[in-house]
Amino acid sequence: MNAMQGIMQGFEVAFSLEGIFFVLIGVTAGTLIGMLPGLGPITAIAIMIPMIYGMDPTIAMVLMAGVYYGAVFGGSTASILLNAPGISGTVATAFDGYPMAQQGKAGQALAIAAISSFTGGTVSIVLLMLFAPTLASVAVSFGPVEYFALMFMGLVAISSLSEGSVIKALISGVLGLMAVTIGIDAQTGTPRFTFGNPNLLEGIDFLIVALGLFALAEVAFLIKKRHDDSLAKTQNIGSLKLTKQDFKEMKGPLLRHSPFGFIMGVLPGAGATISSFISYVIEKRFTKKPEEFGKGSVKGLAAPEASNNAATSGSFVPLLSLGIPGSGTTAVMLGALLVLGINPGPLLFQDHPVVFWGIVASMYIGNLFLLVLNLPLIPYIAKILKIPRPLLISLVMMFCIIGVYSISFNIFDLYLLLIFGVIGYLFRIYSFPAPPFILAFVLGGMMEQSLRQALTISNGDYMIFLESPIAIGLFVVSILSFAYPFLRDRKRKR
Amino acid sequence: MKKLLFLSLLVLGMVVVSACSDQQQASSEEGNWTPEESIEFVAPAGAGGGWDTTARSAAQVFDEEGIIDQDIGVVNKEGGGGSVGWSYINSQEGSPYNLFVASPPLIFVPLNGQTELTYEDFTPIANLIADYAAFAVRADAEWDNLNELFEDMKEDPSSITVVGASSPGSMDHMQFVKIAKEAGVDVTQIKYVSNQEGGALTDLLNGSVDVYSTGVAETVEQVKADKIKVLGVTSPERLEGDVLSTFPTAKEQGIDATFVNWRGFFGPPNMDERALQYYEEKFKELSDSEAFAEIRSQYGWSEQFIGHEEYKDFLAEQTEELQGLMEELGLSQ
Amino acid sequence: MKSMLRSSNRKISLILIALAIGYLILSYQLPPYPFVPVDSDLMPKALGYLLIILSIVLFFSGNNDAEKETKVDSRSASEMFLLLMVTALVILYISLLEIIGFVITTVFFIFICSLVLGYKNYKVNITVSILFPVVLFYIFNYLLQIRLPSGILPI
Repeated sequence: MNAMQGIMQGFEVAFSLEGIFFVLIGVTAGTLIGMLPGLGPITAIAIMIPMIYGMDPTIAMVLMAGVYYGAVFGGSTASILLNAPGISGTVATAFDGYPMAQQGKAGQALAIAAISSFTGGTVSIVLLMLFAPTLASVAVSFGPVEYFALMFMGLVAISSLSEGSVIKALISGVLGLMAVTIGIDAQTGTPRFTFGNPNLLEGIDFLIVALGLFALAEVAFLIKKRHDDSLAKTQNIGSLKLTKQDFKEMKGPLLRHSPFGFIMGVLPGAGATISSFISYVIEKRFTKKPEEFGKGSVKGLAAPEASNNAATSGSFVPLLSLGIPGSGTTAVMLGALLVLGINPGPLLFQDHPVVFWGIVASMYIGNLFLLVLNLPLIPYIAKILKIPRPLLISLVMMFCIIGVYSISFNIFDLYLLLIFGVIGYLFRIYSFPAPPFILAFVLGGMMEQSLRQALTISNGDYMIFLESPIAIGLFVVSILSFAYPFLRDRKRKR
Repeated sequence: MKKLLFLSLLVLGMVVVSACSDQQQASSEEGNWTPEESIEFVAPAGAGGGWDTTARSAAQVFDEEGIIDQDIGVVNKEGGGGSVGWSYINSQEGSPYNLFVASPPLIFVPLNGQTELTYEDFTPIANLIADYAAFAVRADAEWDNLNELFEDMKEDPSSITVVGASSPGSMDHMQFVKIAKEAGVDVTQIKYVSNQEGGALTDLLNGSVDVYSTGVAETVEQVKADKIKVLGVTSPERLEGDVLSTFPTAKEQGIDATFVNWRGFFGPPNMDERALQYYEEKFKELSDSEAFAEIRSQYGWSEQFIGHEEYKDFLAEQTEELQGLMEELGLSQ
Repeated sequence: MKSMLRSSNRKISLILIALAIGYLILSYQLPPYPFVPVDSDLMPKALGYLLIILSIVLFFSGNNDAEKETKVDSRSASEMFLLLMVTALVILYISLLEIIGFVITTVFFIFICSLVLGYKNYKVNITVSILFPVVLFYIFNYLLQIRLPSGILPI
């Protein structure tokens, strides 16, 4: 079967009645799962595996892919409305999405997120179609040296996440790096800072930190401010319509971060969460108005949303072209492929072109469905904010607790969640910014591990970092991103 | 909305009634033990991993083939490399309704000093599956068999890096150490890096590292596509399957060592003798069923049923072997 | 006002330094692993010292975010009491979740918590606090096959 035939058949399956039906089910289920804090695509797909047994492989994969990108799409809703990220890929969405909703522009924020997600997803699929065969080599181009450089680039930008005091932002970042050292060290097997507690051996789950620092801390603030008149604005959902100005603002981030997110997705180990964070900080670094970020900037919302959705589609590249799962979710999908009788590997593309192209084709439909389903629903979803505040606060806390419980089924993690809630509250009181903490937590683990992997390989020789052109390129960008705001300010003054 | 509430209360009521009647029925039977309430399979890790997959597929076959009539629920207890789930089971002493899936980490983790519990604190019921390790290099690498690789490692250990997904002192590391040790390599000189973000194979393909220590199933498709070659596997005999049968064992290359990634079910300590017998029979039935055979072949697992008594000896033997190795590396606590 | 802020920065700085020292002590106690060029203690040690340096800078630093802080700082004793009440409720909820079960604990948690926060509409409160847990339990346990603890309920 030649490539063209494969593409045709893939599209045929995806556009068949059955295909469309299952895409619809997948994206709808995914959106709902994404909206619930804690419950994410990994769990959902793992649970689906026994049910897909005996299904047509293409249809089953179309369904599960739908759940995956549907969840990333839906995950932004809770981030924007409640500051409680639905999944780890949408934590960065809350940085500007939540402030926007607080200003009475919830409808606008949800619309921007939906359009950015759609754009990111669709651009990513087009790239996937055009370059699929050659992308396999991109996927394996990153080793420990390159990953270190990439994580370094993200971390350098921490100081830009400050609102006011740079020193406080740096301290917050260092605390985040410290938190991520808790647990067994992968390179030596040494347990670090676990105090002999087995619950800490695997480290602290990212979502616990995110839900604690953001959602619970916010809840504490809402409790204090619940009689405050300034909150009346929040109940105002605002218009869904985006202005020309909004679109103008979105254009840049969408054009930049859709392809960027895609490449991040293609790299195994990076994925939606890391890509959304790096997109956010890079966008802030190079924007003309960084002071708007964190206060409801359209750019700050569009960048991570385009990026995480693009990365989600991108993560199918290593899975389908190499049989390498680049993220937790695609690892579970690899298991699903096995159950369906398909061996994931470099030959999948040749042996089962229908599966490959079926998934790609279904993503076009799926993304369109998501947009069409979500946009008209926004006014209704945003009504969540009209729930009487005391009730809403109780429900948000309950959802955070059950969400975390459904990740590990461990009561200890719930106490951790509470502790991070308290930390987040103290951060707010003493005006330490929380985003640097969470950014350092996301990037720090991989930065330390890849640094040490590289040094083990080179027998301790630091020059290994200057032997890779990709790494050098990333280091140059890091330096530029560090220097750019200063250069810009000087230019302005002149 | 009121309707829904009424409905759920109704369902609840029915469940209560049926649960009670079940109990009467079951306790009236004498002699043989049968479960009277729903059974819990604990996967001491998150959804989607090896333990979770085994637990879910076993539960599914038990249910679909009607081997066990009672409802079986899979529960994930994540944390501490398994030890959180283990202490949960350990606290259910004597309960015939809480089982868990285990594999070599039940030996590694206690040896690493990360938990006080060992396999002796549980009731081994039956082993179901054997999986084996494979050591792979890039297709264009200079080595064609394990001996060539180990010779080079003896000469210049600093030039060769091994990658695996687990940390030192756990599976991917120890399976390589075990074979290399038998071949005469100084195991304290082995350069091992752990890549837990799913990048281990990538590191091999892009040339960052030289050897990939993993499970056989992970290598098959890459070998078919001519990306990597497998220098040796740790099974006692050649495995079955188109590609699998082409992998030479370490044994046939003159290295007299094997490593098995076993997987089976355990119960809490002091499980009732009759319940143990019941489960042992049921797991045997599961292992012999066609449905489970199909699942095994999908995941590339080999069949290895071991009953309770034999399983205890097997585990003692495994522990002893690994303990010696880990002491030599200074990993044992 | 200025001096108050300064003193809060100083207090935080001292707490952070104490934290860093504790972290460093633990870092120095990490067992060595002889087979890697960079051991597990490098990063923690670097972070510990970095935090000390940053905290010292914070100690002497000015107060360019004074405005914000004063705005937030207007907390009254009763508000604090309410926060502690809710925290106690959450702790109670967490600790009883597995023992008594999801449905019962959640019903009480939502109802009491909303009540404590000043929600007066009992009808809606009761409806929501019963409906949500029951529906969620059904969705999780039967549709998603994720087992939430049933506790003392015979389900």
